[in-house]
Amino acid sequence: MQPGRPALRVAVADDAMLLREGIGKVLADGGLEVVASVSSGEELADVVEKGAVDVAVLDIRMPPHFRDEGILALERLRESGSQVGVLLLSMYATPEYAMRALAAGAGTGYLLKERVSEPRTLVAAVETVSGGGSVVDPEVVAQLIQRPRGDEPLSRLTERELSVLECMAQGNSNAGISRQLFLGVKTVETHVGNIMQKLGLKDSPDNHRRVLAVLAYLGSR
Amino acid sequence: MTAPGARPPARLSPARWAAWLVVIIGGVAASLAMEVSGWYASPAFVRPEVAYQTLHSAVPWVFGICAIVGLQLGEKRLPIVMMIGLTYLWIPQLFFSVIDQVGWLWPLVQSIDLAWALLLGMIALAYPRGRFVGRVEWAVVIVGVGASLVRLAFVLSSDSATPATCGCAPSPYGFWGDLTTFLLGDLIYRIFGAILVMFVAVRQFLGWLRGSSPTRSVAFVMPIGLLAWLLALIVEAVSFGTTAGPDQRSAGLVVTTTSGPVSIVSLFAVASIPICYIAGSVHLRNTRGRVADLMSITRDGADRELWRESLARTLRDPGLEVYWWDDARGAYTDSESRRVELPVEADAPTRTLLPIAAGDGSPIAVIRHDRALTENTRLLDGVSTALRLTVDNGELRTEIQRTLAQVRESRQRIVEASDETRKRLERDLHDGSQQQLVALAIQLRTIVSAADAEGRTEIGAELESALDRLGVALRELRELARGIHPTALVEGGLPLALPDLASRCPIPVSTEIDLHERMPELVEATAWFVTAECLANIARHSSARQAWLGAESDDAELRLSIRDNGVGGASTLAGSGITGLADRVEAIGGTLELHSPPGEGTTIRVRLPLAPPLRPGLA
Repeated sequence: MQPGRPALRVAVADDAMLLREGIGKVLADGGLEVVASVSSGEELADVVEKGAVDVAVLDIRMPPHFRDEGILALERLRESGSQVGVLLLSMYATPEYAMRALAAGAGTGYLLKERVSEPRTLVAAVETVSGGGSVVDPEVVAQLIQRPRGDEPLSRLTERELSVLECMAQGNSNAGISRQLFLGVKTVETHVGNIMQKLGLKDSPDNHRRVLAVLAYLGSR
Repeated sequence: MTAPGARPPARLSPARWAAWLVVIIGGVAASLAMEVSGWYASPAFVRPEVAYQTLHSAVPWVFGICAIVGLQLGEKRLPIVMMIGLTYLWIPQLFFSVIDQVGWLWPLVQSIDLAWALLLGMIALAYPRGRFVGRVEWAVVIVGVGASLVRLAFVLSSDSATPATCGCAPSPYGFWGDLTTFLLGDLIYRIFGAILVMFVAVRQFLGWLRGSSPTRSVAFVMPIGLLAWLLALIVEAVSFGTTAGPDQRSAGLVVTTTSGPVSIVSLFAVASIPICYIAGSVHLRNTRGRVADLMSITRDGADRELWRESLARTLRDPGLEVYWWDDARGAYTDSESRRVELPVEADAPTRTLLPIAAGDGSPIAVIRHDRALTENTRLLDGVSTALRLTVDNGELRTEIQRTLAQVRESRQRIVEASDETRKRLERDLHDGSQQQLVALAIQLRTIVSAADAEGRTEIGAELESALDRLGVALRELRELARGIHPTALVEGGLPLALPDLASRCPIPVSTEIDLHERMPELVEATAWFVTAECLANIARHSSARQAWLGAESDDAELRLSIRDNGVGGASTLAGSGITGLADRVEAIGGTLELHSPPGEGTTIRVRLPLAPPLRPGLA
């Protein structure tokens, strides 16, 4: 949280009261303003509609069916044209799910629920999605990278390139990657260019598109 | 109907056949020997015309042949024995010329020389059942046999012939009377016999007149044969009574008026009776054969009206009606399901009812048929049996289908229940332990922050390591929950869970998933389970380099296809994992098809109906 800027207004949706409170506390401790704490996707939609929310943090499995209500809520928000940041929390790391969530549009994140015990990760993710960035849980990316493939262009990547690719898949921008891997931005750009070329992907100045492309590549076999 | 009538006679063994043939040929040969020896022993002036004698000799042949045919057809033994007996008892009058010097023999032979007529009458009486039924028939038999015994005693004991009158050896048995009393007794016997034959003939004729049955089409020969024979008997008796006298008898023991057309007719009439018997039987047999067609009609599930029509056609009784027992209404109904009050025979005197009951005595149907058909016991037995069998068959089939449906339902319930249990377990983990642990992690993190803020870094470090262990515990719990019930399935259905499964397989799996709507949970769970097992099998056994997973659905079913390019040779034999898969698939009404030639990879195709077949409301 940078001083001088108004605190991000966050709405939390989770049907488990204990977690809702915990998440709210973590976010508040991180300097964010928790403006609503609800237990279903519908209530969240009402809150977002009122326009007083920058980011929604929501559980995927919620009433009434305990299936994919969170992701449905996200899709409805995007359909209605809302650009509010959405961070989905899930007990399980499911790549296809992460891809479905990100496909809904920019400003979307997908994190394992247990990340809420890492305040910095959670707050950073909320801030990223509020700014239109993408967040994908490292575990999801790890699963995707480990997927068996018939043809293996990933093996042509250097170890460093692989790390960069992982960061890209997690939604990081070049600047983010350079911070995370302690590399110069120019170096990162070179690596990204090489990776995209080796994988036969088109680089895109739009970070969200790049994440989608990388995820789609990793998700395909 | 009486059951014994329906039982076909056992097949004859070759030895028994030979024995029967010896007996039959013996009779025919004995008769022929009597004819020939009598012819040569008699003086020319008492010999009848050659034509007559030839015809007379042919009669036992007809009986013998009919007996053989009857045996082959498996006819009742009684008429066959009587036919064979007749060949032995067909004693030509000329034969007495051979034995008239043997004093002890000829009276014995003479006493039974008309026994053939008794047998003939009994054969006609037994037609077509092959046995005597009812008091009237038994009374006729007893009277006939009784009269013949009386005659036997009478002929044997009367001193009818002396060397003076016939030139034969004196009878050692005779002790009273003379030729006149003998002739009178003989005449009375003949007239009595004629009356009995008349009675049988009239009965047969009336039965034929009443009948709309097959007997009418063929068995008219029987009553006509009987009538012809009757006529001949009467003429003979009358001419015997008027013309026979001491003068004629003086020529020998010949007591016959063997000449003229009447006697020829008589021979034809006698010979026609076994032929009628056998021909009628054959015809009835054909009809019974058609009863078998009735069974196939019923087996094909034809309606009741069609069955009635076929039965009416088979029995040649167009007015035949079948009333079916309706258990629900507790009454008989006709083929249009109208209630029928029984008995209905009162309104038509020529109709009678044949109730048919199942093996346990419960009613099946009542057949209202022409009374004349009751003559045809075996045919009606066939019909009853056919109907009973088909009804029993149908009930068995219904029973099996019901049991099968129950078994299927219970199998489906078991699968559902286990599925439900797993789901609940996963849900409990998700909503309970996992949430609790995450909340605990948040709490610990807060304490870490607080400890760090207070500078108590050693506590903070310890709590950090506890948090790490908590993270491990959470990860393990996650895997556990995933194993219990596919979480991807819970959250995203098959479109999410199948690619997720494929991605976890160590062998590259290319997927082609075309699923839109969420499907019934049981179908999704089954599809997931099958796919998971197949992919695990591919990873473990196939040595494949690549696998393909296809899934598509329409409104009615979900189709899965899992293929690999491995070693093939998988089988559905008991004990293989595929049997378990097939069980699981079939439990919800689906099918599993395995194609796995050695060396050519394995393809498994699964079809799962979206609506469970047994309980449509389940979905």
